[in-house]
Amino acid sequence: MPKDNKSLASVFFNGVINENPTFRLVLGTCPTLAVTTSAINGLGMGAAATFVLLGSNAVISLLRNFIPDKVRIPAFIVVICTFVTMVQMLMQAFVPSLYDALGMFIPLIVVNCIILARAEAFASKNRVLPSIVDGLGMGVGFTLAITVMGAIRELIGAGTVFGIQVMSSGYQPMLLIVMASGGFLTFGLYLGLFNLIVNRIEKKKKGGAAA
Amino acid sequence: MPKLTFRGGVHPLHSEHEGKLPTRNKPVRDFAPEQVSILMGMHLGAPSKPCVQKGDHVKMGQLIGEPVGGLGVAVHASVSGEVVAVEPINYMTAAPQMCVTIKNDFKDEWVELKPLGDVETCDPTQVVPAIKAAGICGMGGAAFPTHVKLTIREGAYCDTIILNGAECETYLTADYRLMLEDSTRIVDGLRAVMRALDVKKGVIAIEDNKPEAIEAMEKAAQGRAGVQVVTLKTKYPQGGEKQLIQAVTGREVPVKKLPLDAHVIVLNVGTAHAIADAVIEGKPLVQRITTVTGCVVNPDNLRTRVGTPLQEAINACGGYKEEPGKIICGGGMTGNCAPNDTIPTTKATNGIVVYNEKEAKSVEEGPCIRCGRCVESCPMGLNPYQIKHFCDMDRLDEAQKLDVMDCVVCGSCSYICPAQRSLTASFKVAKEKIAAAAKRGKA
Amino acid sequence: MNLRLSIAPHIRSGETTSRLMLNVIIALVPCAIAGIYNFGVNALVVLAVSMVTAVAAEYLFQVIARRPVRVGDLSALVTGLILGLNLPPTAPWWMAMVGSAFAIIIVKELFGGIGSNFMNPALTARAVLLASWPVFMTTFVNPTYWAEGVDAVTTATPLATGGVAPLDLLLGRIPGSIGEVSKIMILVGLAYLLITRTISWRIPVIMVATTGLLSWAFGSDPLAAVLSGGLLFGAVFMATDYTTSPMTAKGQAVYAVGCGLIVAVIRAFGNYPEGVTYGILVMNVATPLIDKFIRNRVYGHRKEEKAHA
Repeated sequence: MPKDNKSLASVFFNGVINENPTFRLVLGTCPTLAVTTSAINGLGMGAAATFVLLGSNAVISLLRNFIPDKVRIPAFIVVICTFVTMVQMLMQAFVPSLYDALGMFIPLIVVNCIILARAEAFASKNRVLPSIVDGLGMGVGFTLAITVMGAIRELIGAGTVFGIQVMSSGYQPMLLIVMASGGFLTFGLYLGLFNLIVNRIEKKKKGGAAA
Repeated sequence: MPKLTFRGGVHPLHSEHEGKLPTRNKPVRDFAPEQVSILMGMHLGAPSKPCVQKGDHVKMGQLIGEPVGGLGVAVHASVSGEVVAVEPINYMTAAPQMCVTIKNDFKDEWVELKPLGDVETCDPTQVVPAIKAAGICGMGGAAFPTHVKLTIREGAYCDTIILNGAECETYLTADYRLMLEDSTRIVDGLRAVMRALDVKKGVIAIEDNKPEAIEAMEKAAQGRAGVQVVTLKTKYPQGGEKQLIQAVTGREVPVKKLPLDAHVIVLNVGTAHAIADAVIEGKPLVQRITTVTGCVVNPDNLRTRVGTPLQEAINACGGYKEEPGKIICGGGMTGNCAPNDTIPTTKATNGIVVYNEKEAKSVEEGPCIRCGRCVESCPMGLNPYQIKHFCDMDRLDEAQKLDVMDCVVCGSCSYICPAQRSLTASFKVAKEKIAAAAKRGKA
Repeated sequence: MNLRLSIAPHIRSGETTSRLMLNVIIALVPCAIAGIYNFGVNALVVLAVSMVTAVAAEYLFQVIARRPVRVGDLSALVTGLILGLNLPPTAPWWMAMVGSAFAIIIVKELFGGIGSNFMNPALTARAVLLASWPVFMTTFVNPTYWAEGVDAVTTATPLATGGVAPLDLLLGRIPGSIGEVSKIMILVGLAYLLITRTISWRIPVIMVATTGLLSWAFGSDPLAAVLSGGLLFGAVFMATDYTTSPMTAKGQAVYAVGCGLIVAVIRAFGNYPEGVTYGILVMNVATPLIDKFIRNRVYGHRKEEKAHA
């Protein structure tokens, strides 16, 4: 359990790098695989999930002393559902095109493991401010991960990034990458590369400390 | 009659007649060295206890080592002369071995011998004791005490004695020459054992690359009760005990059991010859035929004394042709490497193969490509590639589940592997480790 | 005197990984020559690019990943050549390049290099290319040599159209991938592989027979089914890949029947005109399972003993 004296910055960066939900915890892989066919989809899904994370973490943290232990999971789900419904309605009203693109993956945020995991592992045991920062860190980590992945898949599979033509007009997009199997392929490579780099950096840090 | 064989196997040096060409037409030549170093632990089982002292004069055939324990074998002087040392020497084994060194006086004075007489008329109950007194152990390589093999335990029975004349091992021609030159004695040995154990069927099994030996043995077997000669396909390891039983009788030795559980006893032709010598002349096992071949000036078959230093045997064949890179006691597929050329031969040394430096070069292990050749070649039906995987990780429990203990260490998988993986070597090491662990567990 | 010590055996068969790979390359040469002869210069370009890329990709990956460089075992060259022969003669050079790099880096090296890949690299790359650029991968032309005076015309494979004389199928006077059209050359390659004992007859014969029989059962001409498409090429050169096919004779038979069955079913009932790629890939993935359940009986073990052990 993180101590209160742990700085808020370390809580935030914990979510972005060390415990990055996508790469390190390998949570929320369903939206990661399904919606990352373009950068904008990734960003939209990331933003929606971040909003839900912020809200649910804050509320669950506030209620942590009132929720009986035995029914905590249903209680968490109710809170999460509330925020997911809000996100769904807001998106339908203000960004209908994105809402259409993400489709049923918006209501499915309810069962996104990242959100329930943070509620259980962090918000239910910490005060409000650290919980909000944790939600933000996790949200940003998730958003970054799937936006970059969306951008890569969009670039290879369609030659564009955020809808802007990047590759020259002669480029023949590699359709596989935006198909489901391409999602798995990109995710696997991306996951491996991220861990390779982070592990190298950590090894170097440790080596430096020892020397 | 169809040629008999087993499943799996390989054909090493097939285009060079299994490497036997240099010596197959060389008649056996007697050779007595200046000095013999007779090891006390030549056989499987506890080493014998030396019963002579430095300075003693011994006659040929005199007992110099008393058997110890149930698997003990008597050791006899192979020359007449003076005992110059009774001390441990370095041998191929990890620990030094007790050894009696005798300086040859070249008089070849025998001790008084007590023959049983003709094999067909002698007292059959005295055959096994005579074999025990003659210190005979398996001469094909494993050196298992023969009198133990011929002692049938309560409840078991034997209906067939097989004489192993396959000599599937590469380079070696010792058994081949023996079958050509002394075929009657071999049949005598077989008959002695058949009478001693009251077995009606004796089979002499020979590979089809030795037609002359088949002919000679068939001639010798004529008119001898219950003795027949069968032809085997030339394939390695045809002379492996389990493979031979499968080929000749169609039976398999049950796992972790002895050939006797398949109602068969297998003896090497050399062992049968030694048995005949012991019964007819009362002579103990003090000399044997050893093929000296490879990178030597005159490859030859020598009838040497037990305990001949390798160097003397090699010099008797004209010495090294080139700088030696490896000396193998035994054949190319299963022989052991000698650490130097001063170590002596034993009762089971059927060959000395010298490699030059080029032939001795080691190969680099590559990654397994899963070609399946090892699986196809394994005469025991194992999955060598998979067992090797676990041996490399030191996961002996998993290796054991894959029946590594059933491996007969024939070397077929290593021979055939295109990635040059040392499969057999890994299994040998793993088997030793598992056996040692089991022993520790019991103790 | 410096004597080497080693554990027996002291004799090796002399067969090496690189020699086996060289055998495969030699067996593929007739197909390659027929392909270049039939389809002209672009076929040569495609083959060259995919071979060079495969070797370069393997070398670079092994250097960067600090693994022992094993380009010398020629397996990358085999992968590149097989992939090239699997592409249509009109394929753009960059597609051969992407496919080859994918085969070597992602399918082979990332899973541990030679012997550790669980799918045939060349076939996987072909499947990837087919999914990525379906138009390029299914644009076939008539061979330029046989159809003298006629310009290369985009056409469907005979499998899609049907009604091609068996002789044309045999000689390669048909549109198709570079290596698969000349069945005679494939048979020459098969003969070489069998004579040099590089592969056993089991997988190719059983796979082709299964597809032929089932196609006949499904109501099409078995001879045409055997001689058209990539069946022969796949059965001889790709289903027999050591790493991704079972180890035991019985396992290989099961695997080959599986390959043949899937090919026949896809051809008869599937959406794709050809199913060789997927048939073999699916059985590649099933290979570890086959090896787990189909083993040789160990000498001296009886069946019932093994069952409860």
